[in-house]
Amino acid sequence: MKKDILYACLAFGAMTVACGGPVPGLAADGQYVVGVSNTLIGNGWREEMVCSIKAEALASGKVSKIVLANRNGGPSEQIADLRNLISAGVDIIILNPSDRKALDPVIKQALAKHIVVVAVDQAVSAPGAYVLSNDQVAYGREGAEALFKALGGKGNVVEMRGIDGVPADADRHEGFEQALKKYPNVKVVASVFTGWSPDKGSQQIKDLLGSGKRIDGVWTSGIDSMIVDAYKSANVKFVPVVGADNNGFIAQMINDKDNGLTAIAVTNPPAVGGAGLGLALGILSGKKEPRVVHLTPRVYTNANARGMDWAKSVYDPKVDPTYPVYSGIPPYTSYTPAQEKACKGPGEA
Amino acid sequence: MTSANPPHDAGRAGLGRFAQRHPGLVGMPLFLLLFLAVTVAIHPSYSSFDAQSLAMGAMPLALAAAAQTVVVISGGIDLSVGSMIAVTNVLAAATMEHANFGQAVLLSVLVLAIGAAMGAANGLIVVYSRVPDVVVTLTTGFIWSGVALLILEKPGGGAPDRFLSLGAGTFATPWISGALILLIASVAIIWIPVQRSRLGLLLYAIGSDKAAAFRSGVNVERTRFLAYVLGGLFSAVGGIGLIMTTGIGSPLAGVYYTLSGLAAAVLGGVSLSGGRGGMVGPVVAAYVLTLIPTDLIFLNIDPNFGQVIQGTLIVLVVMAGGLVALLRARKR
Repeated sequence: MKKDILYACLAFGAMTVACGGPVPGLAADGQYVVGVSNTLIGNGWREEMVCSIKAEALASGKVSKIVLANRNGGPSEQIADLRNLISAGVDIIILNPSDRKALDPVIKQALAKHIVVVAVDQAVSAPGAYVLSNDQVAYGREGAEALFKALGGKGNVVEMRGIDGVPADADRHEGFEQALKKYPNVKVVASVFTGWSPDKGSQQIKDLLGSGKRIDGVWTSGIDSMIVDAYKSANVKFVPVVGADNNGFIAQMINDKDNGLTAIAVTNPPAVGGAGLGLALGILSGKKEPRVVHLTPRVYTNANARGMDWAKSVYDPKVDPTYPVYSGIPPYTSYTPAQEKACKGPGEA
Repeated sequence: MTSANPPHDAGRAGLGRFAQRHPGLVGMPLFLLLFLAVTVAIHPSYSSFDAQSLAMGAMPLALAAAAQTVVVISGGIDLSVGSMIAVTNVLAAATMEHANFGQAVLLSVLVLAIGAAMGAANGLIVVYSRVPDVVVTLTTGFIWSGVALLILEKPGGGAPDRFLSLGAGTFATPWISGALILLIASVAIIWIPVQRSRLGLLLYAIGSDKAAAFRSGVNVERTRFLAYVLGGLFSAVGGIGLIMTTGIGSPLAGVYYTLSGLAAAVLGGVSLSGGRGGMVGPVVAAYVLTLIPTDLIFLNIDPNFGQVIQGTLIVLVVMAGGLVALLRARKR
């Protein structure tokens, strides 16, 4: 129906009065309009982040409409999108920032119009904006510590990082190094950048397996199920592997436990989007929230019942193996996994 | 060379003849006015804030389009425009961070010179290697984008506030932003003297028919080289415009401008086969292309449609241009 309106507007231009429609931002009975700005499309994690915002908007019952500014771009495009969201009259802006500093002037303009601004996943430096993100240093540290503990405090490990020069990768590496200091008998025999690309990571582990080096454990920054697959196809005895909360890895965590696989999953939920909205709605209803919320990742291993129970509760055979599993972030989110999977916001059929 | 100027149609008067002789000066601006009218219709509270958003968003794209336009008119293509914007952008951001206003202005002159030098490198390789320009500029584009990452590994740097306000501020009324003034001024200062001079004529001449131009005594190689230099210069203005509107340098920002700039040039009536088109059409087309995502946000339509609409628009405009040419040819 909206498309029809667009065509009508394009066809009749200024003459058409009907194009005006209701003015956004003046929603009735305490309902809010939420603007979302994301500058990386075609990425599973980001798609789920947007879905979690939609799901939380629907579940909260306090949002009348979501205005989505979603395209590939850099700071210049995001500044334009944020200005347009301000102009569209939104009450809340949830953004995954493309830069820490460049968006400050436009965020200041949004705050001046009493818009609640929440940066999720990554931080912005603008004072007055809220930041809700996963603690990536802890992500690296907690997973590595669990691995080193599983190895009995000694052995050779491989560190499979993400993309060089990306803040999240640098932070995770810092956490990894922190864990390493506590375990002096653990030796890093190889450290590679997977580029967070399944193909590249897969090739790298095959090369390492073929190199004849003794490997007692593998830490990954999220290229996880491919490592287990490589061990399977090389017919080599499994070593403990640290991965993320990706659906394919969770499946292996459950199914390959009896084949001798120790799998450790560290959570990095894309639900930070929905959690950011939950935070903003809390503020608008008069709650006091901290300016910066760092979510500590959780660590689950299939070596104990708690980890297995979690894995079985989140695994979904219908989800792509490289997609993160669906989960909320209580107390900030209130939606059900089904709502997140449906990916429908208020008013969407 | 004759095809650069349509034949005089005696007896046809006023705007019609003006429109036919300068399609870029009439068609695209009318199209933009229509788009603006639609925007105001779907967003009645359109204000000077929105006009400013438009001018800031469109400036780097308009300059990328200008850079591409000069080269395409001369019968070439430059796929390194976005990377040259990235290099000049991060170069400005890295050097101006702790500078004062005066130093920043001097540094921008230096950055402009470096932009022209990168364009000169493109031109020299294209002219002397005889490797097709698509291959040369694609390759140099890779090199420039690597250089941009070497200068700034991730977004950063900055420039003095007074310098930034030249682009992000307003002039006289809030409706006229610095970005608009700067765009018009830079394009006019660079392009009008070129177009009025012998060089302007030669650019169109070699773009229409290289062999004919050569036989008429035109130094084809020198003219092609100068087209790339001008392309580099416009790209550098785009890189400086980008820091003025974002306040930082970002090594990856440029990648969006190579193809979008080419799209704006084509939409603005520049023929990819060379020799046809002007500067007003592409610059105005950059404004139209910037308005599309804005309207989609106001209409709350999935912005992924933006790409579809942009593509459809270009096909329609190019087809309409072809139809006009066909009808004109039949009449003769």
